[in-house]
Amino acid sequence: MNDLAAAIAAPLADVQESPKIKVRDVHFYYSGVHALKGVSMDIPEKQVTAIIGPSGCGKSTLLRIFNRIYAIYPKLEATGTVELDGENILDPGYSMNRLRSKVGMVFQKPVPFPMTIFENVAYGIRHHEKLSKPVMADRVEQALRSAALWDEVKDKLKQNALGLSGGQQQRLCIARAIALKPEVLLLDEPTSALDPIATSRIEQLVEELKSEYTIVIVTHNMQQAARVSDCTGFMYIGELIEFGDTEKIFTKPDKKQTEDYITGRFG
Amino acid sequence: MSAAGIYLRRRITNAGALIFGSLATALGLLFLVWILWVTISNGISSIHPNLFTKITAYADQGGLSNAIVGSLIMDLMALLICAPIGVMAGTYLAEYANSSRLGSSIRFLNDILLSAPSIVMGLFVYVIIVLPMSNMTHGNVSFSGFAGSVALALIGLPVIVRTTDEMLQLVPGTLREAALSLGVPQWKLTVQVLIRAASSGILTGILLALARLAGETAPLLFTAFGNNFMTLHPLDKMASLPVAIYQYTNDPSPAMHSIAWAGALLITLFVLALSLLTRLLFSRKKVSYE
Repeated sequence: MNDLAAAIAAPLADVQESPKIKVRDVHFYYSGVHALKGVSMDIPEKQVTAIIGPSGCGKSTLLRIFNRIYAIYPKLEATGTVELDGENILDPGYSMNRLRSKVGMVFQKPVPFPMTIFENVAYGIRHHEKLSKPVMADRVEQALRSAALWDEVKDKLKQNALGLSGGQQQRLCIARAIALKPEVLLLDEPTSALDPIATSRIEQLVEELKSEYTIVIVTHNMQQAARVSDCTGFMYIGELIEFGDTEKIFTKPDKKQTEDYITGRFG
Repeated sequence: MSAAGIYLRRRITNAGALIFGSLATALGLLFLVWILWVTISNGISSIHPNLFTKITAYADQGGLSNAIVGSLIMDLMALLICAPIGVMAGTYLAEYANSSRLGSSIRFLNDILLSAPSIVMGLFVYVIIVLPMSNMTHGNVSFSGFAGSVALALIGLPVIVRTTDEMLQLVPGTLREAALSLGVPQWKLTVQVLIRAASSGILTGILLALARLAGETAPLLFTAFGNNFMTLHPLDKMASLPVAIYQYTNDPSPAMHSIAWAGALLITLFVLALSLLTRLLFSRKKVSYE
């Protein structure tokens, strides 16, 4: 028992006192597969936390637990606790509406809704708040500005969002997520479908957004994790191998497996 | 076998496949063009203003105006019946019962309905609508345009269910996740995002169903029956182009035959126009997620 406590506490040594998200002993199962095996980590507030690891290691699965988006599919099960500001979001009593207004998500492929650029951003807000027209216009502008997209789209807000380029679409998706004023932003390989220029814009944006949001980014690109994140977790076959300051993970990791991965010896 | 031998054999096989494929295509096209050619060449010489101004009661001196109006009314009513039901049923299949056993049974039954002989629809509607109405009204209302519309709706329904189902399934799952991750509930997601994303496909399905039911004769024989006079009342016996063509071709008079050809041309042009419209809609409003 003491071993277990020590094992859980060890990777958490480097992080601050009161984490934004406190993950404890999370397991995840789907159709007989044990996809996450007791993951525990503390995600610090208003910082960027990167989760890296080879394909199939469970990093996206972990991210998808943080807003319970996995729950839309049948026969998936998560156990353990994920506390957001001290409340367990895996508790069935935790309101999905509340959770999803607090935790926004951006996906691997940009998926704008089949609506105008303005409506894409306003759509989510409208579900949670009743706003007058000018207030709404303001909120949409703010969100688009924060997503560094405003200057490119301000003259074509009434055009279909599907006409934007891939990078613009992804920033629109970020605008759509932050329009709800969430506290946490989950990014699931947000640049893997984008070209290098669009990628660097998104990375810049992540840097700017962390002053206001707690950001968790899943990426298979180690350089990206090193560039944008403050903390990094390395996962392998459903387990969190090591978690700590990005600098430490990338320069002198404690675990052999982490070192092998970041030096490209496997994965 | 030597390398050159293998290469030669592959070239021969390739040439053979190409020849047979081209021949089969040519054969299919030949009949299509032939049918169109016969319809157009026979029909176009019979197009006359009388066709649109006179009713069928004048026989070989008359036109098809009542049949044209009857067809338009019944096709439209049929569409009003089957489009909402079809779209909703298709939505249910794709969004709520996608992987369930109930869903796959409904899909299977729908496919059977899709290929059911159309005369069966006519007989079915005759039994469930025409006979009871006749009994209730002591014969005042029996065959009716309404009954015809229901029979046509049964032809169009499975087409719409199937296309709606398929089009919604083409919408990427990530779009669902994106909307749900904003906290939007399932019904809002379905109505405001998914149906909109699939709208051009769904509309195409509805127009295809219209094209399909516009050419049907058999379901109307025992339901709308036919009428030599103009009527707009849905509970009257109602004329329609396909039934008028069927009756006119059974007449010995060549004048009647030429009116039938003109009617056939009208239906063909109507269906052609619908097909062009669907292509236009689908290519222009195509929403693509890669």
